[in-house]
Amino acid sequence: MQLDGKVPGGHISEKWDKYRFDLKLVNPSNKRKFNIIVVGTGLAGGSASASLAELGYNVKTFCIQDSPRRAHSIAAQGGINAAKNYPNDGDSTWRLFYDTVKGGDFRSREANVYRLAQVSSNIIDQCVAQGVPFARDYGGLLANRSFGGAQVSRTFYARGQTGQQLLLGAYSALSRQINAGKVTMFPRREMLDLVVINNQARGIIVRNLITGELESHDADAVVLCTGGYVNVFFLSTNAMACNVTAAFRACKKGAFFANPCFTQIHPTCIPMHGTFQSKLTLMSESLRNDGRVWVPKNPGDKRPANQIPESERDYYLENKYPSFGNLVPRDVASRNAKEQCDVGKGVGETGLAVYLDFEEAIKRDGKNVIEKKYGNLFQMYEKITAANPYETPMMIYPAMHYAMGGLWVDYNLMSNLEGLFVLGEANFSDHGANRLGASALMQGLADGYFVIPYTIGGYLAGTSRKDITSDHPAFKDATQAVNTRINKLLSINGKRTVDDFHRELGQTLWNHCGMARNEAGLKKAKEHIKGLREEFWQNVKVPGDEKDFNQSLERAGRVADFLEFSEIMVDDALERKESCGGHFNEAYQTDENEALRDDENFCHVAAWEFKGENNKPEFHKEPLVFENVKLTQRSYK
Amino acid sequence: MAWITETFTTSIGKKILMALTGLSFCGFLTVHLIGNLTLYGGQDLFNAYVEHLHSLGPLIIVFEWGLLLLAIIHILTGSILFFQNLKARPVRYKVNKNAGGRTLGSATMPYTGFILLLFIIFHLLDFHFVDHTTQTVYQIVSNSLSQIGLATVYIFAVVIAAIHISHGFWSLFQTLGANHPKYMPLIKNIGILFSLLIGIGFGFIPIFIAFIA
Amino acid sequence: MTKNINLTLKVWRQKGPNVKGRLETYYANDISTDMSFLEMIDVVNEQLTLEDKEPIAFDHDCREGICGMCGAVINGRAHGPEKGTTLCQLHMRHFSDKDVIVIEPWRARAFKIIKDLVVDRSALDTIIQAGGYVSVDTGGAQDANSIAIPQEIAELAMDAAACIGCGACVAACPNASAMLFTSAKISQLALLPQGKPEAALRAIAMVNVMDKLGFGNCTNEKECEAECPKEISIINIARMNREFLKAGLISTVK
Repeated sequence: MQLDGKVPGGHISEKWDKYRFDLKLVNPSNKRKFNIIVVGTGLAGGSASASLAELGYNVKTFCIQDSPRRAHSIAAQGGINAAKNYPNDGDSTWRLFYDTVKGGDFRSREANVYRLAQVSSNIIDQCVAQGVPFARDYGGLLANRSFGGAQVSRTFYARGQTGQQLLLGAYSALSRQINAGKVTMFPRREMLDLVVINNQARGIIVRNLITGELESHDADAVVLCTGGYVNVFFLSTNAMACNVTAAFRACKKGAFFANPCFTQIHPTCIPMHGTFQSKLTLMSESLRNDGRVWVPKNPGDKRPANQIPESERDYYLENKYPSFGNLVPRDVASRNAKEQCDVGKGVGETGLAVYLDFEEAIKRDGKNVIEKKYGNLFQMYEKITAANPYETPMMIYPAMHYAMGGLWVDYNLMSNLEGLFVLGEANFSDHGANRLGASALMQGLADGYFVIPYTIGGYLAGTSRKDITSDHPAFKDATQAVNTRINKLLSINGKRTVDDFHRELGQTLWNHCGMARNEAGLKKAKEHIKGLREEFWQNVKVPGDEKDFNQSLERAGRVADFLEFSEIMVDDALERKESCGGHFNEAYQTDENEALRDDENFCHVAAWEFKGENNKPEFHKEPLVFENVKLTQRSYK
Repeated sequence: MAWITETFTTSIGKKILMALTGLSFCGFLTVHLIGNLTLYGGQDLFNAYVEHLHSLGPLIIVFEWGLLLLAIIHILTGSILFFQNLKARPVRYKVNKNAGGRTLGSATMPYTGFILLLFIIFHLLDFHFVDHTTQTVYQIVSNSLSQIGLATVYIFAVVIAAIHISHGFWSLFQTLGANHPKYMPLIKNIGILFSLLIGIGFGFIPIFIAFIA
Repeated sequence: MTKNINLTLKVWRQKGPNVKGRLETYYANDISTDMSFLEMIDVVNEQLTLEDKEPIAFDHDCREGICGMCGAVINGRAHGPEKGTTLCQLHMRHFSDKDVIVIEPWRARAFKIIKDLVVDRSALDTIIQAGGYVSVDTGGAQDANSIAIPQEIAELAMDAAACIGCGACVAACPNASAMLFTSAKISQLALLPQGKPEAALRAIAMVNVMDKLGFGNCTNEKECEAECPKEISIINIARMNREFLKAGLISTVK
């Protein structure tokens, strides 16, 4: 089936304005008659809940943590892009649009990206009005910095805690609506199923994580803002609770999963150390503004960094990409680090690290300036590694960080299931095969503040829905299915822990579906995952009770979904016989080891329809049409 | 006028009452100490000072009742805070450790306060509510303080007062909102100096009476 | 340098909010000093699971010191002995071989225990809901640069805004007071011009709700500041007191 992205007509710069006019409106007094469920309270979920409630809808918002303030958006450090052009350095909506499409290696939907660039400025205005304390210059105006993949300074930031501050802004708007009674907040709830009636998303089943009770909630529309899935790799920079469950359960109910193989590897993370490790810590990419990346020129050089003379250092990014230097996009920076380590030039105990050196920046700007810009990041690095980055270069290595793939959505951010909207990292639309730094925050907030309030109105006003409540048999069936699965997990009582399975799954994916992929490896991974999944359902050990606070059970359900989901991910990687952005298939590369796209055969979105366990998912294609940018080989030289 | 009670019955309001009354006591102690310094000048100077004070007549009565009112507010509010604070953590920690914020003064405020209350009652019974017709105030003071036991009680109480003030002084500024990075270090130092002055100034009187005068 | 240590843990175990809890002893052997404290508990939990015992329930999420989800009192210290550190960022290199570590949940009347080390901190959300925001609807904002905010003020606001809402201030306060938490939000918004229009309303509403939730009172013990993983200063409490006084005595807000 060919998918229709429902991109409106007209010139790209007028599409959104015209479309907003064409969308049906819900009369203000009618809005209170509509119930909307929002799952997740990150930047997308928090901003969507607040904005929808402000319009007058009745919103029920769910989050997995104990408070809506803790969603993992909070951990984004570096900043948020906006085409404000405050520094007068040549930025514009068009340039942000172009950079994002190019950075995504031409695998995103043009119209969505343009809209994102258009509303980017409104986001900054909105956040400042909320009291988000962005960094400012001495004159009191907003400060900007540059970020990977761009040659203009368009990134707004709040020290190294931009995500936190933006999230707290959205959380404060949400709190205001909770106080006003327009949002009912359900914390410590995990969505375990989507209820679909007449091909329309009409509700969800959640587990109360404190009591273990299953609850049914009905609504006129369901908005999923449940983040990304790279915890499928076990070790990633995501928070421990990040998972694919909500998205994947929606997928099992008929929503298509798009481009699952597009995962992003972040180049500046603290290297791995030891098998007990539970997560990888990212340090903002903004560090590459002042830090210089290097490795020793000679493979196997084990001298400490300060004993390696300048002439024996290889500043490989600066040498290879003179115009972007250390600020090449994430996928390029990551792959180059891997390349250096593969030829034995990696540093540190494991040899899986490269240096990020601030010596020159400290000499140039003084320690105070560097401390002001990156103090908290340096402190964090020192806390984790017990090494002082003011004195010795940091060691960094790429780590799994972000999922560009996600549930398929059209221009309205609605999935192929009517009434199921997907925002933020959980959808696939704006970043293509690679996301540029400081764009995730922008997308989450754009979706929540400025897109969904319009498009959901168009849906609610334009479709007829049956009157249902959570007494409808579909809710009973879904609850029953969830219950059966929970009891199954608890009854296996095998010999391996959930984490043990998860770690093995992650290792397999990292080896074969990680920074570089090849057909043989992917096939091997697929076999392995299948076996692992079968073993999981026979040999996992989940202690504790169903009707209790049971973190082992929570994790078991998520890992079970990861196991199923990862097969689709590998299928997608196998099917995409090209290299682009985060998906680097070794068989398709240029002479200079850059990703080699195949625009003739793969300039499309691959959306997968779940067809039952052990069945291959069905492939659906949304062709990507580029009318405004020319598809070129990305070059950052 | 509900806004007054609404403001002053909140947690911050109660703290402000503590601070304002505490500030008044600091003022009172200063005046009291300056007056008492006349003791070092001998019997006549001291009695003359007392005479002068008593000649203020109704003013002194207003002052005394004022002090009593302030004391009642300070003690009542302090007690309410103490019991509310106890109730705020019904299950205590098995292991308690100081993170570096608490001081001897801050940790003992309610207890030093309670001791001071007992002391003030004793002090009033000892000096104020006694026969003033047959003896001069200096005689009352020196009779009392030349007994080693009573002198010790006075010195102990003064030390306790100094400890109470060591936290109370800077704390009242903090509570009233006067915490500024440029001035707070100064306020803290003045607080320490003030508590030392009170401690040494009052504490030396019994020693002076008992051993020197 | 990395080495392995053996530890004795005494961990608070409590089935639910209304049952009695107690300290149970566990042994954590061969713990690498590169592990974080939570990774150490992970190891113990894996072991407990395989021994058919119930693992220790504890809240955690980002494991990089920003979400505010984790937290426990370690040998009497909220988030453990290191300054400016959340529990997830506390590494085992700060402990020695054969140490005995007592792990207790946050304790406050306003934080009911859910299970083991997990407590209910929704009271903190309730405080924010009372007024920890600028009442501005989506879409109505003027250009971000139309108000200049002195850098110094923006930095002070950011100092206050760094709060992660973990509740360590309440846990560390001898009186279980939430003044540092509340003051951080009141301060941030009182400093910024955007927050000024409703500053009086906010101060009164947030303080009143805070009081109703059963937190203790501030006695300026400074333990909150000393334990705050984001090192938020009590200068914010002074500012809140000021804001509250102004609101209560000078403004016309009731």
